[in-house]
This record gives sequence, structure tokens and C-alpha cells, in this order.
Amino acid sequence: MEIKVRVDGVDHKAHAQLIKGTLWVHHNGRVFTMDASTGRKSRKKAGAGGSSDQVVAPMPGKVTKILVSAGASVEAGQAVVVMEAMKMEYTLKADIAGSIDSISCAVGEQVALGKALIKIKPASDK
Amino acid sequence: MAKFSRIAIANRGEVAVRIIKACEELGIETVLLHSEADINTRAYRMATKTICIGPAPTAESYLNIKANVDGALAGGAQAIHPGFGFLSENADFAEAVTKAGLTFIGPSAESIRSLGDKVHCKELAKKAGLPLVPGYQGENQDVAHLILEAEKIGFPVIVKAAAGGGGRGMKLIKSSAEAKELIESAQREAQSAFGSPKVFLEKYLDRAKHIEFQVFGDSTGNVIHFFDRECSVQRRHQKIIEEATSPSLSDDLRRRMGEAACAIATLGKYKGAGTVEFLLQDNEFYLLEVNTRLQVEHPVTEEVLGVDLVKMQILTAQGEFVHDPKQVRVPRGHSIECRIYAENPFMGGVPSTGLLGHVEWPEGPGRRYEYGFDAGDTITPYYDPMIAKVIVWDETRSRAIQKMIRVLQDSVVFGVHTNIPYLIEILSHKEFVMGTMTTRFIETYFAEALKEPELTSLDKKIAEGALLQLRGGGMQNQGASNSPWASYWRGI
Repeated sequence: MEIKVRVDGVDHKAHAQLIKGTLWVHHNGRVFTMDASTGRKSRKKAGAGGSSDQVVAPMPGKVTKILVSAGASVEAGQAVVVMEAMKMEYTLKADIAGSIDSISCAVGEQVALGKALIKIKPASDK
Repeated sequence: MAKFSRIAIANRGEVAVRIIKACEELGIETVLLHSEADINTRAYRMATKTICIGPAPTAESYLNIKANVDGALAGGAQAIHPGFGFLSENADFAEAVTKAGLTFIGPSAESIRSLGDKVHCKELAKKAGLPLVPGYQGENQDVAHLILEAEKIGFPVIVKAAAGGGGRGMKLIKSSAEAKELIESAQREAQSAFGSPKVFLEKYLDRAKHIEFQVFGDSTGNVIHFFDRECSVQRRHQKIIEEATSPSLSDDLRRRMGEAACAIATLGKYKGAGTVEFLLQDNEFYLLEVNTRLQVEHPVTEEVLGVDLVKMQILTAQGEFVHDPKQVRVPRGHSIECRIYAENPFMGGVPSTGLLGHVEWPEGPGRRYEYGFDAGDTITPYYDPMIAKVIVWDETRSRAIQKMIRVLQDSVVFGVHTNIPYLIEILSHKEFVMGTMTTRFIETYFAEALKEPELTSLDKKIAEGALLQLRGGGMQNQGASNSPWASYWRGI
């Protein structure tokens, strides 16, 4: 809805909406989001980040190829999983070097945003 | 040929809406052939009749020839408009439609085979003496063989889906080392998007511009062109911003390319709307491919020429449209189109799906919006990320750019992230403003994810005030009691 907020005596017009705990705001020519419960900016990497020893689905989509097997060594930046969403392929890469601890997805599986797909045991833990 | 009273639409999203609008203008009813996933969409609500042709995966619905033909027959349609993408360039589909006693709104199956098949088209172009980009278009699809052919051509090489379009199944191979992975990936994407894994290879021209000509064959087979569009701004080989006419062509080049476009379309006995795509480098042009269909970017041509290409397609299929030789078409002003994708520009463009919240496209002169979703609709991961197109027209290119930036800044899409901030950055870039961009423009200047601007203290205060109001807590606390809007705020 359209809102007006007075800041330092000046009225500012904006659009705002709460959707599933996220506040969406359009103001001054751009859209930004905030976490409505904490009042902080929405986590930019929602779903994409997590801890770096995990490869997490950055979007909802289908797993089309798993390029590593459990126990295999990986280098940082190595492609490990291929996903497809909206008719495009996205290759997910390992953030760190190490060995594949576990694989929690299967080829053909439709995965949700933020799902941990692969866990990597860091090289330093070997 | 009898006039159509009902047309089936074998497509979805904004193109389905565009076709419905054209049909409404002609007093024709529509039957939307849709998947189970597309019930909450604008086209579904707008169509006269809707028929579900299968589940969400495209192979089981939008790419299923029999389901589409059966749906059109069950819906009582006399013709099928395929839109763009999906089955629009599938000769077997055009043939199946005709065999079922329906009219295919587009070129004949024969024309699609000779021009739409990228490999065959190049053979035809060779005969016509048109310049071609060196490449491999053979039948041998073995990956090892394709790698050898790529090495013969010399890297960088582009691998493309033979039945493709829209950048799907297209990969740039820079060296032998990455050839296997990229060719296999292109084959998988081609299979997924077009139902065929067939690919071909082409030398990558690294300083080229993408220029295309809108051709139109009337009911008698007479082909003319409707001038050019520049589509050099591409990411992952997919167009993002298109404009008409191109800022890169001299009158002489425009004339020669237009003649070449009409020559190949005439050779392919073309009827209806099609596009001849060229690469332009160092003032030399090369035929890239012919798209035997309507294109996403057709509105910019419509805006500068004052034509309705979809209406013309329908009238041509009815045998009623003939080019008027007395009517001299001259492009007027400049038009730009931006594709709005549901993706997060601050995370490298990963798809953003979910329920659409508030959506607002600002009205005003010289603005046009083509969209397939309203507030409350769901953006699913099953289909293309394009949710809307914004088209502007103005008297000069620089004014059109300024208008587009303003329109994008004023557009509101909540619920999914969009590439709007990315588009604004591109439109503001000096190379785009000067019109000197090539197809490498994006990878040169916008390869990295956009940096998300920090929220200012004003942004935070606006957000705090908004949250308070949305939760029914009235206005924000900064001296609001003096505001003439105080009671109004509470009432919103």
C-alpha cells in the first residue's frame, strides 16, 4: 500500500507491503527488503550462504547433475552440482577445499531454496 | 478462407496476454491451452475459455504436440497461435495443426523447416550468397566429434541448440579444456527447452553487434521488412534490452541488410511475422539465423512504425492481409524494451520465485507494459524468468533512455526480486548511452553481481514508519502529530 512517513518534518511517499515476515519497500526509485521481526535488512544471501562447508540451493529448482561422489576430494571453486530453474542451468561450486562428507540430494529431485545439498569436510580437518 | 471466431493459444505468460488482446480487438474468442502450474496467471483469467493440457513440466504440456492440438479441437478453435518459444518454431507442430483441420498462425511447416532449422537455413543462405559466420552444422552429434570440429573452427566457439531460441542451450567455449562440459550442458538444455539435444557450432565474433530485421510475408507471399532492431545487450546469450531502430546502422547498411533479410525470407516462401538476425562487425554483416515466429521484442517495431504485428499475423492466416505498396513506412522516434526477470541482481541473477505482492507499472505517455502476472499470482521455477516487458517510446534515443530509467525507478514489484536495478545500471552506462555496445557489453562491464546499496538512515526510518503503519500502529513517531496527513495515514 502507499504510505507516507514524516522524517525531520518532511513527508516521504513510499509503497510498502509485508509478505511472509519480509517488509518490501519501494522508495526513492528502488525496492529494498527488511526482516520485519528484527528490523534488519533481509539476509542478502538467504539460501545461498549458510556455512561455507555446505553447498546450498540458491533457488528452488531441479538437481540435474551431481558431479562428485562421497569421499571425493574437491578444490575451492570446483563445480559440484548442476541445477536447473526457469529453463536455465546453474552450476554450484564448492566454497572450500576438502572432501565430500555427504550428499543430500538426488538427480531429478526438486529442491527448495536454502536446502543443503552437499556437505564438505574442510581440508584442514583431515 | 473463413474468418476465425475462436483461436487457441499454445503458450503462456505475457505473449498469451498479447495474443488475447489482439484477438479481442478483432472480435475473436480465445482458448488458452495451459499447464496445471499456470492457473493463477493473467492469461488464464483473460481468455474466453481455458483448457488444461498437462502438468507443469513443459515436455508434458507446452511441448506436447498432441495435447495442444487436442485441446484446440476440444475448445472449438479454428486456429492455433503458438506465440514464441515452446512449439512456435516446430514444423511438426505446424503440420499436426494443419492435419487436424486447424490453421497454424505462422509460416507453413515447409517454411519453418527450411528457415527455422538453423542448419538448413544456413544452407539456403549460402545458395542466396549471404555472408555466414564460419561453423559446423553437421549431423554428427557425438561430443568428441563436436570438440574436434570446434578445434577446427578455432576458439572461442559458440555451441547452440539447433531448434533453439532465447539463448537456451547456448554456451561460449573458450578452450578445448572446457569444451566437453559445455557441449554436454548445451545438449541437456536443448533437450529440456526444445525437446531435441541437437546442437551446432559457430565461430564467436567478439566485437559484434546483434542487429535483426522484422520481415513480414503477406497472404500472397510478398515479403517486406519492417526495419531493424538492435539487441546487442545480452546476458548468457539472452537479450535483455532491445531497441528500434538500431543506433548503429548507416542508411546504406540498413538498405543492404534489409534487402538480404527479404531475400532469404522470400526464398523460404515466408508468410507472417519473422525475424532475420545478423551479426555486424567492422561494417560487415553475417546471417546468424531466421526466427520463424513472432519475437519477444516485437513491440519496439510496433511502437516506431505504428503497426500491430499480431493482428497482421491473424489476418494473414485468414488470407486477408496484403501489403499496401502505396503506404510508405518510415520509423518515427525511438523505442526501447526492457525485459523484467524474476531474479536477484545482487546475487548474480539467481531466479527468484514466490507469490507476487503489490505490482504497479506507472502510467504515462509513450509507455507500454506487456505482462503475464498480477498481484497474487505465483512465479514458479518451471518456466522462463521473464515476468514482464516495459516498452517506452520517445522522439529521440536519449529521451527514450531517460524515460525508461524513470519508468523502471517508478515501477513496483513486491514478493519476488527483479532485475530492475540491473537494467537501470545498464541504461546509465556510457557505452549504452553512446550506442556503441557489442554483444560482449554485459560480460565486459556487468560480469559481477551488482553491489547492493547500503540502506541510508532515511531508508531505515521509512521502513520503520511503514512497518508501524502496516501493523496498524498508525504513523511513524517523528513529529507526526503536526502532519496534515495524520488521520489519512490511519485510514490507509
